[in-house]
Amino acid sequence: MADSEMGEATLERKLAVYRNLDERFVIREEKYKGQQFSHIYFMRLHHMRSQLQSLIPKWKPHLPVNTVLGLEEGKECIIVGTLYKHMKLKPSILDEYSKERSAIPLVKPHNFMSTDDHLILEDESGRVKLAGPMLAPSAFVTGIVIAVHGKETSEGDFFVEDFLEAGLAPQVDRPLDSREDKFVAFVSGLSVGTNAFNPLQFQLLVDHVTGHLGDENEQRISSKIVQLVIAGNSMHISHGFFSGQTVAPKDHAKLTEPIRELDIFLTQLVAALPVDIMPGCNDPANYSLPQQPLHRCLFAGASAYNTFVSCTNPHHFELDNVQFVGTSGQNIDDLYKYSDAKDKIEFMERTLRWRHLAPTAPNTLGCYPYVDKDPFLIESCPHVYFVGNQEKYETRLLQGPDKQLVRLISIPRFCETGVAVMLNLRNLECHALSFSTNL
Amino acid sequence: MSSGDIKGFYRQKKKNGGVTKPSSSSSSSKKSKSKHYTGGASVGAPSAAPTPALVTRGGAIDLKEEYGDEEEALRQFDMDMKYGPCIGVGRLERWERAAAMGLHPPPHVREVLVGLASGSTACSSKFKCLWEGLV
Repeated sequence: MADSEMGEATLERKLAVYRNLDERFVIREEKYKGQQFSHIYFMRLHHMRSQLQSLIPKWKPHLPVNTVLGLEEGKECIIVGTLYKHMKLKPSILDEYSKERSAIPLVKPHNFMSTDDHLILEDESGRVKLAGPMLAPSAFVTGIVIAVHGKETSEGDFFVEDFLEAGLAPQVDRPLDSREDKFVAFVSGLSVGTNAFNPLQFQLLVDHVTGHLGDENEQRISSKIVQLVIAGNSMHISHGFFSGQTVAPKDHAKLTEPIRELDIFLTQLVAALPVDIMPGCNDPANYSLPQQPLHRCLFAGASAYNTFVSCTNPHHFELDNVQFVGTSGQNIDDLYKYSDAKDKIEFMERTLRWRHLAPTAPNTLGCYPYVDKDPFLIESCPHVYFVGNQEKYETRLLQGPDKQLVRLISIPRFCETGVAVMLNLRNLECHALSFSTNL
Repeated sequence: MSSGDIKGFYRQKKKNGGVTKPSSSSSSSKKSKSKHYTGGASVGAPSAAPTPALVTRGGAIDLKEEYGDEEEALRQFDMDMKYGPCIGVGRLERWERAAAMGLHPPPHVREVLVGLASGSTACSSKFKCLWEGLV
C-alpha cells in the first residue's frame, strides 16, 4: 500500500482465498508403539494397487493379474507390486558393524548408482527379480508401485515385456474465470545465520514484495502479489547443535541470532501480505518427513500476525481454488542420489506419475512409521507443484493424458542465486525475480 | 576325544522323556513351543491344511498347547496377509484398519476382541498379535 506523491488513490493489495490443507501431514493422534515400516508400505501397496487395477483393463485387458507366489513359468501375466532396487553402493547400516570401526567417516558420493543395480518386485506373497531391457534401473527407485507384464523365466526371474505406472492422478478443474493477474511469490534457502546470507539482498526482496521499493508501476506489480511461500531452509542452525548436548552460554547467541534475525524480516513481510513458511533440512524442525510446522515461539514478532502461517513439509494449500503442493527439496534430492534424470524437473514429473511425493521414504529418506495411512500418496493432481532448495530456477508446464495441467517449479537457493520465483494464478505462467547487490 | 558312543554323547531326547506341558497357558513369554496353525501364510494356500510350524528341542513335536478356539481364530486373523502385517499393531486396531480399507475382515474376530475388552477376565495378551515380544 502506498500513497503516490500526486495524491492519487492508494494501491490496495489483491486478495486470494486461501485454504490450508496440511492436515494429513500433521502428526497429531499418532502414537508410536514400536511399529516398523511394513505398515506404511502395506498401505502404499494397497492404495496404489487399487489405482493400477482400475487402469490395467484399459492397458492389457486380456491378461490375468497374478500374485508373485502364483507365477508359473512361461505363463504370460501381469503382476503388481512395490519395486525394490538393489544397489551395491548404497550405504547400509550393517556395513558399519562388519568393518572395523575407524575414525574416518564413510565417504558419501553424490550418487549411489552402479551398473550392477537391479530391480525386484515385491507384493505380500513374495518377491521376484525383474529381468529384461524394458525397465532401466537408473530411472527407478525403491518404493514405487507399478504393474509389469511378462513371464517367469526358467531361472526364476520375471522377464518384463511392458510396465505400467499409475500416471498423473485426476485433476480438479482449475477455475478459468479470473480476469485479473494475481501473483504468488516463492523463495527458499534463505539460510539466515550463514556467511552465504546477504542481508541487503534479502531486504531488497522484502522491500519489493511489500511495495516499499520502486515507482508506482513497480508498486502496482507488487500489489498483485497475494501470497509468499518460503520453501524451507530459512535459517541454518549448525548441525552440531542437534546432537543433544547442552549448549554452552557462549554459544547461545549462535543458536538464537539467526532465528531472531529471520523473525525481524518475517515481521516486515507478514505485516504486508500472507506468508507461508515451511521447514527444511537445516531448520529447527524434526528430521523425518513429514516435517512438522516450525514452532510459533521461534517467531515472537511474526506470529502475532494472522497472515503468518507455519506449515508442514510437504505443504498442500489452495489459493482461489488452485491446488498447490510442494516440498523443501528432500524428496527430489533423495531421488537424485538413487536415480538418474536429465534435470530436477524430470524427477518431479516422475513423482507425479508414480503418484507419490516421496517414494524413497522410508527406505533412504526419513519418515514417520505410519500404521494406517501413507500421507505422501497423491490422490488428486495439483495445479502447481514446487520444490525448494535446488541449484537453479527451472520450470515446465506438464500436460497429462486426461487434460491435467501442472506447473512444475524448481525454486533455487536464494542465498546462492538471489532468485525468487513469481507465478501468475491466472494463467500459471512463471518468471524469475532476480536480486543482486553487486555494483 | 573318546571314540565311544556318539549317539549317547549327544542326547537325542530329553532326559525326562519328552516335553512336559506348561502349567499355565500364558502365551506372552519366550518359550520354544510348537504352534499349530491351519493355513499358515494364507495366500494361495489351502484353507485347512494342518502344518506344525515349529519343533521343540528334543526332536518331538509338542502336544497342542492350551489355547482355545478364540485364540485360534485370532491367530488366523493375525496370519492372514490380506490384512497386512500384524507386528507392531494391536489386533483390534488392525481389524479396524482392515475394515476402513474395505477388506471385510471377519466380524466374529472383532466380537471376540470387543468381548474380551469388556469381560472381567480380560487377558491383555490377546490384544497383541501373535509375535508380540518375540520378534
